[in-house]
Order: sequence, then C-alpha cells, then structure tokens
Amino acid sequence: MKASSPRPKPLHGPARPHSGSLQRRLIVAALVLVTIALVVAGIAIGFILHRFVRGQLDSRLDSQIVAIASSLERGRDGRLALRRNLDGPPFDRERSGWSWQIRQGDATLRSSSLEGHDLPAPAEHRQDSRTPHPDHPQPADGVDPWGNTVILRILTLPDEAGAGNATIVASAPMAALSGPVREAGLTLALILSILGLCLVVGLVAQVRLGLRPLERLRRDLGEIRAGKRAQVPEKQPAEIRPLVREVNALLSQNAVNLERARTHVANLAHGLKTPLATLTMALGDAGKDPDGRLSALVSGMDAQIRHHLRRARTAALGGATRERTDLAVSAAGLRTTFARLYADKGIAFTVEVSDGIAVACDGQDVDEMLGNLIDNACRWCRAQVWIAAAFSGQGVTITVEDDGPGLDEDAAARVLGRGRRLDETVPGHGFGLSITTELAELYGGSLHLDRGTLHGLRARLELPA
Amino acid sequence: MKLLLIEDDAALAAEIAKALRAENFALDHAINGEDGQHLGETETYDAVVLDLGLPERDGVSVLQAWRAAGRTLPVLILTARDGWSDKVAGFKAGADDYLVKPFRVEELVIRLRALVRRASAHGANRIACGPLAYDAGLGTFERDGLPLKLTGLEWRVLSCLILRKDGIVPRGQLIERVYEGDAEVDSNSVEVIITRLRRKIVPARIESVRGIGYQLLPGEAS
Repeated sequence: MKASSPRPKPLHGPARPHSGSLQRRLIVAALVLVTIALVVAGIAIGFILHRFVRGQLDSRLDSQIVAIASSLERGRDGRLALRRNLDGPPFDRERSGWSWQIRQGDATLRSSSLEGHDLPAPAEHRQDSRTPHPDHPQPADGVDPWGNTVILRILTLPDEAGAGNATIVASAPMAALSGPVREAGLTLALILSILGLCLVVGLVAQVRLGLRPLERLRRDLGEIRAGKRAQVPEKQPAEIRPLVREVNALLSQNAVNLERARTHVANLAHGLKTPLATLTMALGDAGKDPDGRLSALVSGMDAQIRHHLRRARTAALGGATRERTDLAVSAAGLRTTFARLYADKGIAFTVEVSDGIAVACDGQDVDEMLGNLIDNACRWCRAQVWIAAAFSGQGVTITVEDDGPGLDEDAAARVLGRGRRLDETVPGHGFGLSITTELAELYGGSLHLDRGTLHGLRARLELPA
Repeated sequence: MKLLLIEDDAALAAEIAKALRAENFALDHAINGEDGQHLGETETYDAVVLDLGLPERDGVSVLQAWRAAGRTLPVLILTARDGWSDKVAGFKAGADDYLVKPFRVEELVIRLRALVRRASAHGANRIACGPLAYDAGLGTFERDGLPLKLTGLEWRVLSCLILRKDGIVPRGQLIERVYEGDAEVDSNSVEVIITRLRRKIVPARIESVRGIGYQLLPGEAS
C-alpha cells in the first residue's frame, strides 16, 4: 500500500475564454439576426424607393400624355397637330431619352428630341392590338432609337372620326429612375450599417451585462474552493437562484456525507483500539508471546488504523470547505500540551506568534502538523524549543526549532522522503515529520528542514494564508 | 499509592488492573463516568486513569467537573484518539498526562509514577530519606544502595510516606491510599504493616504522631 497522495488539480488553467461560451453563442446569434433584419429592411426600403421614384416619373409622363391628348387636333388633311407647343424641357433635348410620339393611322407626331426617329412601342401596344384605355396610360419598357433603355407610358385613345385609334407614347430615360434610386440606396446602406453597428455594440453590452451574474457565481464558487466561503450567496437573479440553491444543497449534502464518513471511520478505528490495547496488555504476560511476533502484528494493525484514519480525515481536502485557523490559539494550546507531556524535561518554550496570523487549513490538521513538529523538537531538544510564525509572500511560514543535535542534509532528505511503505516508517525521528509533509502538501504547502540559530533542527512549514 | 481507573471496556480494565496491581498500586475501578466522577470527588487517590469515551458521562466532562470543584488530583487520559487536537482538548480540560491506546503497560506505569511524584512536588525521580531511597521511575526502594524487598501493602505505605517525608501523613489518609475501596480494613492492620516496615528500613524510622498519623524520618531518634 503506497502512501501516495492524490493532489487536487487546479481548475484555473489557461482556459480558452470564448470557445463554446454562452457569450459567443448569444453574440453570434444576435449578429446573424441583426444582419438578416437589416438586409431585409434594406431590400424592402429599396423596393419602396424604386416604386416611389418610378411613380414620380410615371405621373410626370402621364401629365405630358394628358396634355398632349387634350391639345391633339386632326387637320382636314389627316395630319396630326397640337394646339400648343408641348416640346418644353426636357422633351426638347435631343437624344435625352425624354420624348413623346403620337400615332394615328399613318399620321405621326413626335417630340423634337426624337429628331424624326420612330419611338418603337412594344408589340402589345401597337396600334389596334388591344382595346383602348382612354383613362389610364399603360406602363411598358422599351428602347429608344439610339438603343438606350427607356420607361414608356402608353395611352390609346378610342377612334373618334374613323381614323383609327390614336396612340400616345411618352418616354423617360431609365437613368432618371436608376440614378436617384442608386443615390438613395447608398445613403440607405450607410444609415443601415451605422444602425447595425450600434445594434451590435448594444447587444454585446447586453450579453455581457446579462452574463455578469454567471461570472460572479464562478468567483463565488472559486472562493468556496479556496475555503473563503461555505455557501454561494442566495442573492442572485431569478434565473440563477434555483441553480445556486441546488449547488448549496449539494455542498451541504457533501459536507454532511463527508462528516458522516469520517465519523464512521473514526468510530471504527477507535472501536478497534480498545481491543488492541487489551491484546497488547494480554500479550505482555510472560510466556504468551515469547518471540514478540504477535506484539509486532498488533502494532502493525495499530499503525494501519492510524494511517487510514488520518487518510480518511484528509482525503477530502481540496474539495471541501476549508476554514481558517488562528495560529496563536493553536500554538498556545500545543504549548500547554507539550509542557505537560514533557514536564520532566523542563523545556523552555518560546512562542512568537502574533495575534491574527491565520492559515487556510482545518484546525485539527494545523494541530496535527504543528504538533508533530513540536513533538519532534521536544524529543530531541536539550532545553529549548522555539516556535514562530510570520507572513511570507502569499502564505505563512511557521518555524519550529530546537537546540538538539539536528539532522544533516542526507538524513533530513531521508526523513522527508516520500513514497515509503507504511511499515518502513517507524515511530521516532521522522515519522511525525513525514505525516506533516504529507498534510502540508495536501494544502499546497511544504516542509523544509535545515540547521537553525539554536544549532539544532529547524523545521520551516509553509502554509497558505 | 492508590489509583482510580475509569474505563468502560471490561476486558481492557481487567488487564490494566492486573498490570497495575502487579506493580503494587492499589486500584479502584469505575465502569462509567457518573460513578467515576463520584469516586474522584469523595475518595482519596494519588492519580486517575481516565478513559474519554465513557457511557453516561464522557471523560472530558468528568475532568472538567473535578477541576471546577477544585479537585487537583493528577489525571492521565487514556484514549483511542491520537490527534494532537484531541490531546490539546484533554490538557485544556485539565489533564496532566495523555496516553494513546494501544499502549505498553510499562509506559502507563512509568507515567503514573511520574505523575504521583510531581503531584508531591518532587522534581527528580530519586527521592532519598537517610539510607532509604525511592526511584519514582522504576518504583523500587533501596536501603544503603541495596534493593529492598517489600510486599505490596508495605510498598504502598512506604511510598506514601517517602513522597510526603517532610510532613506528617494523617492515619486516615494513609489507610485510604493503601486499601482498595471494597477491602475490609482492620483498624490494626496498618499498625502491623508499619511495625514490619520499621524492621526493614533501619536506621531510617517511622514515627507515630499520637492522634495524627505517621512521619518517615532519616535516622535514629536523638
């Protein structure tokens, strides 16, 4: 059975902060939604804009057509004529795309911008091809004589004097539609982009704010792990409160189970010790155990019980709640204890532990670590034992020194050597020290041995504050 | 020297009692805290061996009750609990020594003798009175450097007298420290033991102080 010690692994590794995080998930989802919404809005607004500009153009062409229709005359010679000049701007600009044309039978009248060319109307609007619409000009797309795309409005007037239907066509260049639409579209895109940016910034802030209680919860749990807290505070947002209650219930349950398990182990161990004591005494009678083999078995059993009792007590370290232990109180109690235990040796104890120096360890474990060191010092000292504690860096250093023979480096290393089998560790110099090392390491501390100012052994125990 | 053993485990108590009587101690035994506390308050003992896990009343509270009542008798705690915290708690309650089960009977005896010696304000293990010397570590007597053979009762009387050699030991107290609680005490029997002892320890002598008790003196009356 190896005396190995499973150490709690640190949870605060270099974690990838955004990989698979809730925050990332929320932000990505929000980004996708905002992008889709803005694109749909852009398309819809563009479409409306297009229709609006087109409507403006159409009504302009329509009023031109109405003006033409109302001033249309047909001479006796069959020629078409207008009662007034309707070639005002922009219909007078050559090749501008702005143009009009009247056709009735063979007679044709055109705006000057057409320079005498024919404005081809789409097939379905050709003369007589369909029933006339005297009220509403019809929309159509076409190409002007120079090959430019134009918007057309076509009005077919009913035959009045037997000369056939009169068709009035007015055109506007496509650029008159696409130009303003493109210009407005650019402005729209800019405004939507700024809006999108504002939304994204707002969403990120919202997600951060919304997830802040989770971060606080993580810190609280970290403090529980570090022994600064026993429970997570219940003052939490409604969504997290049930979770926190469950965590707290789990922590309490864990503590209760741990305590119960420890009690059972302790009861078992202590229950075995009385019969063992009886056995030891019975074997002490002359002739019962001539070669000492049975006594050795009994002390082996005792060592096993002690070892596993201690393990049961310390096994849950790292996960469970840790308390803080005042070293001055602990040292004072141990000083009284050792003064009585070594009453005949008349040891002069010097204790230099200021009030308020505390370590983040269980009180019994502190007594165990410190007790073993002082016991060792008392056993080997001539007359003096010196105990001191002081803050050092992040933790506390406890020094126990005696004026005994001390240990050389090799012996010190052997005493602290780990991985030894239980039956190799005999009570005496070092047994308590290796227990102290084991306990200290469970708390993330350490034990160093060297020669001190009293020329005996100096043990320096480092523990987390 | 008389001891009080408070231990609920019958088998262990029997072994301890056998071992301690073999070392000449007189012994009363209580099997629970209540009886133990009562005996400790009403009888005279040189030391107490106290188990902590007791029925009816645990050892620490028995000890605290004695100390609160001003009883200063030396107490050795005998327990299965071997943590330093347990020991600190025991000493804080007023214990004078602490022994963890299982233990070697030799250690128990040595610690008890040392407790009794310290309670009588003797610093060193060797206590001398004229030619007579008592080794509180080994529990043996010497006269002129040679081992002195004594019966159990004689040892109890002489150790009681030598530990209090600077004063008179009242007769009643001597009887209480020599006889076990359930023993039939003949009023003359102490006198008989003293007479036998006087022959063994010359030239040291035991002087009877009429109406009070006895005192151990180093030499012949002048």
